[in-house]
This record gives sequence, structure tokens and C-alpha cells, in this order.
Amino acid sequence: MLTLLGLGLGVGLVIVISSLSHGLDHAQKKTLDPLAGIGTDLTVTLSPQQQTSSFGGPGGGGGGGRDRDLIQANQSALTDLSKLGKPGQHFVHDFFLPGSQLTFQQSAASQIASIPGVAQVTTGLTLLAEHQSGVVPKIVAKLKTQPKTFQIQRNIPRPTAAQFAQMQACFDKLRGSSGSSGSGNGSGSGSGSSGGNGNSFGGGNGGSGGAFGGGGGRFGGVDRGAFAKCLPASLRRLRTQFTTPQQTLRQVLNPPQTNIQTSAYTIGGVDQSHPTQGLVTTAQVTKGRYLAPAGGKEALVSGSYAAKHSLKVGSKIDLNGTSFVVVGIVSPPLGGQTADIYLPLKQLQTLADQKNLVNVALVRADKSSQVGAVQRAIQDALPNAQVASSKQVADTISGSLVNASNLSHDLGLAISVVAALAAFLLAALLALSSVGKRVRELGTLKALGWTQGKVVRQIAGESLTTGVLGGILGLAIGILGALAIDAFGPKLSASSTTGVSSALIGNLASATQRTATSTVSLTAPVGVSVLAIGFALALLGGLIAGTAGALRAARLRPADALRQVE
Amino acid sequence: MTDPQYKVNGLSKFFQRGPTTVRALDGVDLEIGAGEFVALEGPSGSGKTTLLQLLGALDRPSSGDVQFEGRDLVRLPDHELAALRLRSFGFVFQQFNLIPTLTALENVEAKLAPTGVDDIEGRAARMLDEVGLAERAHHLPAHLSGGEQQRVAIARALSVEPRVVLADEPTGNLDTKTGGEIIDLLAGLAAEHGSTVIVATHDPSLAARAPRRLAMRDGRLADGALAAV
Repeated sequence: MLTLLGLGLGVGLVIVISSLSHGLDHAQKKTLDPLAGIGTDLTVTLSPQQQTSSFGGPGGGGGGGRDRDLIQANQSALTDLSKLGKPGQHFVHDFFLPGSQLTFQQSAASQIASIPGVAQVTTGLTLLAEHQSGVVPKIVAKLKTQPKTFQIQRNIPRPTAAQFAQMQACFDKLRGSSGSSGSGNGSGSGSGSSGGNGNSFGGGNGGSGGAFGGGGGRFGGVDRGAFAKCLPASLRRLRTQFTTPQQTLRQVLNPPQTNIQTSAYTIGGVDQSHPTQGLVTTAQVTKGRYLAPAGGKEALVSGSYAAKHSLKVGSKIDLNGTSFVVVGIVSPPLGGQTADIYLPLKQLQTLADQKNLVNVALVRADKSSQVGAVQRAIQDALPNAQVASSKQVADTISGSLVNASNLSHDLGLAISVVAALAAFLLAALLALSSVGKRVRELGTLKALGWTQGKVVRQIAGESLTTGVLGGILGLAIGILGALAIDAFGPKLSASSTTGVSSALIGNLASATQRTATSTVSLTAPVGVSVLAIGFALALLGGLIAGTAGALRAARLRPADALRQVE
Repeated sequence: MTDPQYKVNGLSKFFQRGPTTVRALDGVDLEIGAGEFVALEGPSGSGKTTLLQLLGALDRPSSGDVQFEGRDLVRLPDHELAALRLRSFGFVFQQFNLIPTLTALENVEAKLAPTGVDDIEGRAARMLDEVGLAERAHHLPAHLSGGEQQRVAIARALSVEPRVVLADEPTGNLDTKTGGEIIDLLAGLAAEHGSTVIVATHDPSLAARAPRRLAMRDGRLADGALAAV
């Protein structure tokens, strides 16, 4: 019974693991072959990095040029919000930015199409959209004044004769006592330099008189302060300075302030005249239909975006006053050109003010063997272009699915083999132990006259039965396990980020990056071959182990076998 | 006088238990006639079981000879020994040794099946009837009492009408009353089928029921055992 259960569990394990591995492979194929789904072998984009290296030359000079391009291209993100309305007014606006994928003239497509080996070229425009809604904000001005120092000079009246004589005497006395040489200027001059606030600014020294003007330097060697003392208080020229304190002025210019809600999404312009090749194709429509060839006000929405915003076929999307009808739900493949909303190319060009501009060209080669040659030819013809193959795009995809898939790819076989071995060993051990417990029973059978061959056949037959039953149990466990994974299985995601980050452009860097994420539910499809292998394993494990155990017991002399204590 | 059924000469069996050699049987000479009821007496470890196993072709001796009805058991190949065990010998063990997954009836059939006789189920059912277990035929051993299990074992041993029934402490796991019933049953059926019975026991009261008693001590038969024939 225990043998049965062990065998069943082991086989079940093998089946679940193999199925899981299958499921991962399946999910990987579905998600990680990004370009095949959109009928494309190569994508051609104009990346700022490429432009830098071709125009600005390699090296340090490039950085600035790249960032300048980016800022220029994304300028509308820096729009003055006050243009949206009066403060306090509600607004809803979608800004469309090319992000890090710079736009180029749509006519470049025909240039690519003329390259030998190119079967078809379609163009597309993928933009990063910034949906903002809220109330036009008040703007607060904050001014910080610089501290300012004022100097004021004021003349004083001519002294009286008596004052003059007194001063003269004072000067002579000072000159004598200092004993220093000096020029004997007939007319005395004084400097009223004062160290601080000692002099009253409000002193009433009116009149005029320049006689005493001049710097104190003339009295070389003699203390200027001393001479100043010779002046009568009323005659000292007032000279002072004062400093105004630093002040901050704050003024609310346009009350009241408001919060603006911002949500980002990606939007793609699709050349709807080529339904089998483009940013999204008819193959990816899961509900509804593809864009009509006429290119009206219609939109396709990605499944995840639709779920997030409760959009259905027939829903309306309002973009800056233009209403678009959702005609289909799509599940676009990952890989750089994925968007949340798809509009006819012309509509998006108009909406985003990017007339005749696109930022991606999708190229299909005549033959798959020519893809490499075509890639090089396009690169030669358009040195600024970044030409990516399906594999290169796939390499940019990351996420748990990729990790799990890589794990499965690298280790899936190993895990399956280990699980199979574990199941086999488990079955063998359990069968052996069950035979071990029955040595006395086998000895009894031999005592009854059973030949060795008959005993071995009996045990092998029993083991085979156990194997069959264990295998059936294992199939049940495996199928149930796989179903459980399907029902509660973890979601694996894969995401693809395009764009460059740059410390120089700071916040804008995050705005120019686009990340598309695709979520795949992990499934474990149970294949017939997996079931057959699991079943065969159970049989083989039980049979070999049972036979080995029986042979061991049968070789014992019956007396020895009987002597075994249970 | 016809030749004895068993002729045993210098029969020895040694076991290696670690560094010491255990002499389970140490030179036994013995003759047993067909249809005899023999009790092998002696304490545990005296060599009763070993002697029974050698007489029943369950084991091979270290030295000595066992002649059974003119055939040398020491030199017969394994498959011929198995054939002998099947048709000529019937074993009854202290632990009953029924196959736990088989019913009483199936346990008896397990002995009959390899012989290839007709109507295995009918024979098995009649044997169970003879031991008084007709109504318990479809019970598993676990659902039978010790006495009932031993009756099944006796039915199994006698189902092929063997030449010899070898019983090793058949009452060792039973109470005195049941043990007595089992010995009576065994003796009665053996007489009915004309089988020799060799019973090993350490219970003197059971041995006393046997017409011939052989006392064993340290792997040897006590003096005079042979003389009692």
C-alpha cells in the first residue's frame, strides 16, 4: 500500500514537473518571439544614441547632443500649465511625447523599401502619452532680496574764523608731537571718517564747504583719527553707512492651488492599410476587429490596459477633445513597439502634432535567410538608424517569465530527469522494503514447496500490479497537480523597456522610457507522452525493484528465510 | 523389516556467529520408520529446529548424511528438494506462518496449486472441513484465533497427503487446552493419511503423547534414543 502511494507520488511529480516545463516553453514561445507576431523581421528606429555617434562623433561630446535632442523632442512635457486655462479651471489633457525614439519623415519608408531583399515596409509612431487632469494651478512667486548697503555723504558748512584758528593750533600741535615729516598744507583738511554709529545721522550740520574735503591720507604718518579730533564736532563731515536686512517676499499670484493627476500610457499609430504587418496586426486581435482601412476615429486597446481602465469593444476614449471608439482588444507582442492604445497612424500624427512623422519602420525581408543581409543593407543606407532583429528585441525582454523560462530551458530536462530518478528510486526502495518485510513469507512459500522461479514470478507479478496501480495513481496525482497549477498557477510577467536613461536629463529620462509588460498565467499542459513516460516509469520501477527484491529473498535458503524475525 | 523412511548418519550443522562457531547439530545418528509419531524433546537451542529443517530439506548440513526413502537429501539439487518439500513434506510452524494477505482457503490452495492436481479449491475446502474450519474458510489469518490459524496450517500441511509432517513447536503460541487439541488433531489426521509425524517441543506433557520420544541436548540426541526404535 505504501509502495503504491510512494510510486504514485513519484510518478505524479514527474508528470507535474514535465508538464510545467512544457507550459513554460509554451509561454516562452508565445511571448518571447516578439516580431514574428507582427509580420516583421526587423525594426528600424532612430535612436538618439545612434544619432550622437554619427553626428557628434564617439566619445564625450555625444552626451550633450543626445540630451538636447531628447529635450527638444519632448518639449511639450515642459509646457506652461497656465496655458491650459485660468487657475482653478478643470482641465484634462494628454501630452504626446516621442520619448527616446526620435521621429523621422515617413518618406524614409520608401527609401528602405527600395533596398534589395526588402519585401514590405510599414511605418508606425509610438508615443509616450501623459494624461493629466486637474485644476489649473495657482502660481506662487517667492522673491529673495539681496541685502543692500547704502552710503550717504553730506557736506558741512564752512567753519568760523575762531574755529579755524583752533583747528590750526590743534594740527600744529599734533604735527610737532608726532615728529614726523609731512607737507605743510596751508589749508587743513579733515576726514570725518567714523567707525560706526558714533556720529549722529541726524546732526544739524547744514551749509556748504568743500575746503575740508579730501582724504585723510594727506597727513601721512599722522593718525587720522587724531586730526579728526581737531575738528569741531559740528564741522566733522558726516559719513556713514547702513545695511538693510535681508528680506523674503512671498506672494500668491493666482490662488487657489490644486493637485494634478498624471497617468502615463503608450499610444501607437498603426498603418491600418497593412493589417498583417505593423505595430499590431489582425493576428493579435483577441476581441472585436482590426482598424478599418479607412482609418477613422477608431482605436485598438491592449488587453491589460483595457482591463485596467474597464474598456470594452464599443467604449469611447477621449483624447484632447477627439473621441475614439474602441473597435478591438489586442494582445500585442513585447519588444519595444508595444503600446496600450493604437490609433490609425494619421489620427495619431494629427493628435500629437507630428504630421508625416513616424518613429519606427517595420521591415519584412523576402526570405528569412536574407534577414541578416537586409539588416546590414539598411544600416549602410541609413547610418543613423538602429536596426534590430527579432532576436535582439527578444533579448531586451526581461521578467519572471524570462527567468522561469530560462530556468526551464536550462534546468527543465535536468529537473525532469532528477524527478524521474527520484520517483524510480522511491519506487525501488519501497518495493525492496516491502519484499524485505516478506522474507519470512517467501521462506514459507519455499517451505511449502514453491520453486525459486515460482516465488520470483509471484513477486514480480505482484510488483507489476503495484506498478500499474501506482502508475494510475500517479497519473491521477499528476493530472490533478497540473490542473491545480492551471487554476492557481502563478502569473509570470515579461516586460520590455525601451529608451535610454541619462543622469543629465534627470526626470525626463524616466519620461522617455517606455515599459511594456505582458503577463502570462503559468500553465502545465499534460501531454500524452508525459503520461505514458510516467506510467512506464512506475511499471519499470516496480518491476525491477520487485524482481530484485524477490531474487534476493529467493536465493535465501528456506531455513534462513524462515529464521528471519519480523 | 522394511528400510526406515529416514536414515541419518553423523548429521552436523554449524553456524558462524561472529568469531564463535555454534554447533547447532553435532553428529546425530537417527532412523525413523514410515508412519511413526516422534516427539523431539529438549530446551531451546538444543538443535530441535535445525534437525527438523534438515529432515524437511529446508537446509543443507555442514556434514553427515540424510537419506529419505533411499534418496540422499544432501546431494539433491535445489529444484528436486523443492519438489520433495511440495509433495512429500508438510510443515507446521510455531508462528503458524500463514500468508497474511490470503484467506484460510487460499492459504491451503497455495500449497496445492504448484502440484497441479485437479479441483484445488474443492480439496482445500475439504481439508478445512477436516480441521473444523469450513465456516472460517474465507477469513484472513488476522481474523482467526491462534488455534484456528494453526488448524489452517495443519490443513495446509496435510492437503497434499505428505509422507512426513514436520511440526516445530506447533503449540508454542497456544494455551495448554488448545495446544492439546492441536496435537490430537495432528496425530489423528496423520494417522488417517498415513503420514509420519515428527514434532519438536519443549513441553514434556505434549511429548508424552508421542509413542516415541527423542531427547536432545546441545545438538546431540540423548543416549538410548536410537535404541528406542
